Amino acid sequence: MRNMTDRERIEALISRRKPDRVPVWPGPCNGFAVTYNNLPLAAAYTDPEATYRSLRKTCFDFGWLFLPWMAYASMGAWEFGGEVRMPSGEFDQAPVIIRHPVEEEEDVYNLKWPGPESGFYPTARKFAELARRERLDNEPWNSVISSGSAYGLACQLVGLEKFLKWLVRKPDVAHFLIRELSEWSLSSLEQKKERLGIEGVLAMVGLPLASNQLIPPHRFEEFVLPDLKEGQARLRALGYRTTFAHICGEQNKNLPLLAGVDFGDPGIISIGPEIGLETAARYFPHHIICGNLDPALIQTGTPERVYEATKSIVERGKRLEGGFIFAPGCELPPRAPLENVRAMTKAVGDVGSYE
Amino acid sequence: MDEGNHELIRRLYDAVLDMDEDGVTALSRSILAEGIDPGSAVKHGLMPAMEKVGELYAADIYYVSELLLAADALHAGLAILAPHISGRPEEAKRRLIIGTVEGDVHDVGKNLVKVMFEARGWSVHDLGKDVAAEAFVEEQARIQADIIALSALMTTTMLAMPKTIRAIRAEHPKVAVMVGGAPLTREIALSYGADGYARNAGEAIAEAKALLVSHNNLMKE
Repeated sequence: MRNMTDRERIEALISRRKPDRVPVWPGPCNGFAVTYNNLPLAAAYTDPEATYRSLRKTCFDFGWLFLPWMAYASMGAWEFGGEVRMPSGEFDQAPVIIRHPVEEEEDVYNLKWPGPESGFYPTARKFAELARRERLDNEPWNSVISSGSAYGLACQLVGLEKFLKWLVRKPDVAHFLIRELSEWSLSSLEQKKERLGIEGVLAMVGLPLASNQLIPPHRFEEFVLPDLKEGQARLRALGYRTTFAHICGEQNKNLPLLAGVDFGDPGIISIGPEIGLETAARYFPHHIICGNLDPALIQTGTPERVYEATKSIVERGKRLEGGFIFAPGCELPPRAPLENVRAMTKAVGDVGSYE
Repeated sequence: MDEGNHELIRRLYDAVLDMDEDGVTALSRSILAEGIDPGSAVKHGLMPAMEKVGELYAADIYYVSELLLAADALHAGLAILAPHISGRPEEAKRRLIIGTVEGDVHDVGKNLVKVMFEARGWSVHDLGKDVAAEAFVEEQARIQADIIALSALMTTTMLAMPKTIRAIRAEHPKVAVMVGGAPLTREIALSYGADGYARNAGEAIAEAKALLVSHNNLMKE
């Protein structure tokens, strides 16, 4: 089999054909990309041009899938009127919320939807425009639209600890806020489709705050699932075939519920090291499984251990019927040792071929 | 009478278990008004209730939300009762310093561990989140804790742990240090120079107890 381009490889997976080899997606890695290119970590959140150039060069150097996307995990709070602090300290990883836009219950009922110039949006938009302008023919995607989780966004707006208490003490307020944010998110999807179209656009949803380390399955079912299902149904109705769903952290008990969500035909199910590849495939037999090297191992392991762990994942992933993309189980640590990142990439190259 | 069996104290216990902060506040005031020993109310009402909450959490019957709400109830009761406890044997209590390390603002896990220790009667000195190494060193000089507990959620911020542990060791070589947080393992913890590691809040107490035994033995040698 001749070598496929990244685009052909992904198209093969989505058409349920075997590609030439397992694709490597490095996970969200703008932080790693800018530090790899000798820029300060804050550039990944403040300088769209430098981030774009760094990401492109890094993906080229390592032979990774190029998925242009500029965002951060706690997005939402700034855009809805709160404040964030950009990373500047020796150990900072990403922007952190320093003031939540919802401080009291009544703030929920006075919430204003953000405009296009709010918070991080102008920065992300500049990055996205650059990515769309410079897309190469051999690349599968030029844009990412976040289809969000209203529950996750609510956690960012209220503050995680307070919102977890509201789930028990003020469930009506929690439901109201989630409903509001869900409506905002759904209406944003329509606007995003008008602006970006469908071709080359990957829908993405992340669920880090829905892990069973924070909420049990019955609360997942009550507070997360309805909006998640509605958002995914809307994406399908709009014509987006595939959602990249990052099921972050320990979510084994949520899997039976998540299995009932329409993540696409097929969807890409991204998992962390807490969920086994085979377990994910059992719940999502017709979807592409993406994962799941432990980011902590990339950060702290030896190159030999990173190589062996990657090899084991790829060998098991290749056997999955629905297809497989290798990736770290979450964000590639911005300060991951280069020799470990090389070992990870080499292992996929060594054993990732389907021939 | 045995004040531990007093009806108000039993109701105080139930109110913590029910996460009823207002109820705990009202009952604590009633306990003072009735002249019941506040120390007994804490010992037989608040603390065992919180310990029970910890057990329910470990058994997946209560979850993070319930633990946080029960902790609010506990703190409401302590705020009213503790100032009235005469001759509090603070010096006899085990002491813990806790905080998330420099750069890390994710403190839910740290707060859960804190509650577990408070429920067991430890005196907990919470330095909060995004705590510089020097702050742990200074607090240890001030209170001479038995254990310092460090928390980190991110693969980047956990890199602050070895630096923090080195700084603590340089000034306070005898204190035991334990660490926890999602990206950590026992192996990583030990490689960072920590004495102990807990995978979650439920395991933290058992780890601390084991740590005290092993650390004290080590210090005697």
